[in-house]
Formats: sequence, C-alpha cells, structure tokens
Amino acid sequence: MLFTVLAKKAYARNLQYRASHLLHNVVSLVFGFIYIRIWAGLGEGSPLGEYGSQGMVAYIAFNQCLLWVTMFITNGLGLEQSVRTGQIALDLLRPAHLFYQAMSREWGQIAYQFLYKSLPIYILYFFMFSLRLPDNGLVFLWTAVAVAFAAYLSICIQYLIGLAALWTIESRWFFWLNYALGMLLAGFFIPLSWVPGWLRALSFCSPYPYLLYVPTRQYMGLDGPGALLGAAGWACALTALGFFATRLARRKLEVQGG
Amino acid sequence: MKANLRLYVLLIRASVRGAMQYKFNFIGSAFVSALVQFSEFLMVALVLVRFGSVDGWSWYEVGYLCGVMTLARALYRSFASDVHYLEKYLVSGDLDPLLLRPVPLLLALMTQNVRLLVGDLAQGALLVAVCLRELLASGQADWTAIPLTLLAIVSGAVLLFAIGLATAACGFWLTRIEALQNMSEDAARSAAQYPLTLYPRWMRTLLLVALPVGLVSYVPALYIVRGEYGAWLLVAAAGAAAVFLLLALRLWTLGVSRYQSTGS
Repeated sequence: MLFTVLAKKAYARNLQYRASHLLHNVVSLVFGFIYIRIWAGLGEGSPLGEYGSQGMVAYIAFNQCLLWVTMFITNGLGLEQSVRTGQIALDLLRPAHLFYQAMSREWGQIAYQFLYKSLPIYILYFFMFSLRLPDNGLVFLWTAVAVAFAAYLSICIQYLIGLAALWTIESRWFFWLNYALGMLLAGFFIPLSWVPGWLRALSFCSPYPYLLYVPTRQYMGLDGPGALLGAAGWACALTALGFFATRLARRKLEVQGG
Repeated sequence: MKANLRLYVLLIRASVRGAMQYKFNFIGSAFVSALVQFSEFLMVALVLVRFGSVDGWSWYEVGYLCGVMTLARALYRSFASDVHYLEKYLVSGDLDPLLLRPVPLLLALMTQNVRLLVGDLAQGALLVAVCLRELLASGQADWTAIPLTLLAIVSGAVLLFAIGLATAACGFWLTRIEALQNMSEDAARSAAQYPLTLYPRWMRTLLLVALPVGLVSYVPALYIVRGEYGAWLLVAAAGAAAVFLLLALRLWTLGVSRYQSTGS
C-alpha cells in the first residue's frame, strides 16, 4: 500500500539522523525546562487555579512533547521546495492524490518524531519533575485519539501552507505566521481558560486549540471525550479545504526551476 | 578600520537596495518577524496580567527585560545579518565566492541579505518605552534610566553578536550548527528574558558566565530599574561584551583558517 511505503520511507530517512536529532531533543528539553521553571516561579505566589502548581508543570511538559507531533512537522510538508524545483509537476502527475502522498510521508515523519523525540523527552520530564500518569486506562485511549487528530490537523494546515507556494513561491512566512499564531492560540504556554475572553473566543474559532490544549486536557483527565468532536469537525473541514485547494492548484501549476 | 567602516556602510546600503527590489517580500518579512516576537511576548504578558508578578518582578519590570532583549537581538540581527546563516554557506559552498572578494570575510557576511528588523525594533522600543514610563512615573527609576537603557541595549547587542559569531565560528569545524544556535542563541535568550532567580544555581551561573546572555538585560535591569548593587553592573556588562567580542573574533579567525570547502 502506498501509504505504508511512503510513511516507512520517511521514517527510515529520519532514522539516519538519529544522532544529530539527539541534539534537538536536548534543546527542546531545555526550552521546556525554562517554561516549567517560570510556572514554578509563578506557582510560589499563587495556587494556580484548577491546575495547581504541579498540574501546570505537567501541562507544560506534555505540551512541549506534543510540539514534536504538531508544530514541529515538515515546513509546508516540503511542497514549497517542490514548487521551487519544479518537482511539484511530477508529483501532480502521479496516479495518487497530492494530499495523500504528502500526508503519507508526513505520518512517517510524525511516527519517528513521536518515538524519538516526544517519548524520550516526556520520560525525562516524568522523572525530573515527578509527574503522574493518568490512573484511568480510558484516558490513554482518548488522549491517543486527541493526539492523532492533532497530528492530522497539523498535516492539513501545513498542506495548505505548502500549496500556497504555488501562488506566492515563498511560503515561509505562512509557516512562521502559523507557528506564532499557533503557539498563542493553542494554549502552549498559558491554558486557554486563563486568557482574556476575546482571545479565547478567537482561538476556539480556529483549529489551534485541538493541537495542544485539548489533547493535554484529555491527558490530564480534565475533559471528557466530547471535547474531541470539535477536532473531528475541523478534520473534515480542513480535509475538504485541502482537496479544494489542490483542485485550484492543478489549474495554477507553473513549472519553476530547471 | 575607517576604510572598512566606509565599505560596511556602502555594502549595507547596496544590500538594502537589493532587497527593496522585492518590496512586498521585504515588508512582509519584517511584519511577520514582528508578529512572531509579539505573540511570544503576548504569551508572557498574558500570564503576568493574570498573576501579577514573577518571582517578585512586576509586569513592567519583566516587560522591560523582554523589551531590552528584543531590541538588542534586533540590532544584532540587523547589523550582522548573514553571520547567523553561515551554515547555509558552508553546506552549499557559497562561502568560496565571498572569500575571493577583496573585503574581510566577516564584513562580507555581515552585509549579505541585510534585513532591517523594523518591526522587531519598533515593538521592542514600544515595550521599553511603556515600561520605562511607568517605572519613571512610579518613581522607581529616575531619568538616568533612559541613557543607561540605551547603553545596555548597545552593549547587549554587541554581546549577542559575540555569542552568535562564536557559535557560527564553530561551524568551520562542525558544518551543521543549527541545533547549536538554537541552544546558544534562542534557548539562552528565552531564558534570559525572565528574572534569572527562577532557575537553579548552576543554570544561573551558566547564563552569567559561560553563555552570558544574562548580562544583556537581566544584570543591567537589576541596577537600572531595581536599583540593586550599583552602576558598576553596567560597566561590568559592557566590559564583558567587549571581552567576549574579542574572544569571538579570535575564534572566528582561527575558524576561517581551518575552512575547507565542500565537495562537488
């Protein structure tokens, strides 16, 4: 099956750079550590509401690991480079849908990052900050579903960013814009229940909360599985948008490079 | 020295003129860069609005720390532009044509793809202005805070440049330096935007001595806005910036002498 072949290839390619990626893990670990220390500092003067001081540490730690399956995936799914080199024309010629090809590759990438980045970082945090595991097995199940949705939504967003390159050549800005907005609206550093009302309303009009905030709350056992309905809705909407954009892209295609 | 300075100004102007041929790109990237910085700050600001203070530092004091850091970084990145992107040159072999030019390599790199980070500068300046105004109004700082802040920003920019340059110079041995830069520039800078007392002692020492980003905004702020220790803090920070710059330049010279071009 094409999906497994492409995903496995992407996974295997990443495996070659394991040692170099180890350094990324250290950097990511340090970043998370900084954020956790800031919350620990805040927690000294305030009880930190429904999360509690230890809960906020767990919140940040889990978010930091989730970044590797949501925010830190391939920039525009690599479509920007294909547009620049003209490779996109060949990809569109193939008898598989462009979205399917790009998505399959990215799932391999995400699987790799989950196993070699998210997990080890979480295990380290687990011992460094004496985190707790959920005591209910079902929580793991719903968290897994939430994380899968989060990864899929990120793939859809990156696909749209990548396709934008057909019109703008350069889609790096969109990538950065998505990153900056995403971190803020996904509740990366501060839970969305604590941001001002207008910002919370704004973020729940976007798919971003389902990337970090919702999965983390699932994991912490703060929300029931009902919260995932929104993620499913966004998954359908963004998939439809992706297909629509591909249709436009087929007519727009210009071969660059040479 | 004078000739080099003239050359530097000339090359910067040429680079900006070149970039302005793609006006939309130029303006757009400045805008997005400012937005990224702004949303990073907004995350912190929201937390502070909600909880009032971090480790005894008020909203305005932390805002001041962030603002000074943003300005110092924007100055460094504007005036030393592609030093940060040395990896690209090392991997592609594009450093060779620069070495052939009759200008010092560092000067050539500093004037490639110049981007004036107007958005970052404006945002940092606004933040520092708002925070300083409040601190002046409440009598926590006096007017000397203004020139001292400018001094801190310039010396901070020099220090960040020295750290960036030393990290880039490691590229002559390692080639791939992106992760190293993430550590020595991004992570360190993020950490130093907050009161260093948040961190364990070993990390504080690291950020003040080995990778002294703490000297960019935290140490000057201790004196300027909190009146702790004494004015010697600023002198020490500026002195350290000068020393680190000299060390970084030596490392750079050594690195260049070890440069091996890529194959193919």
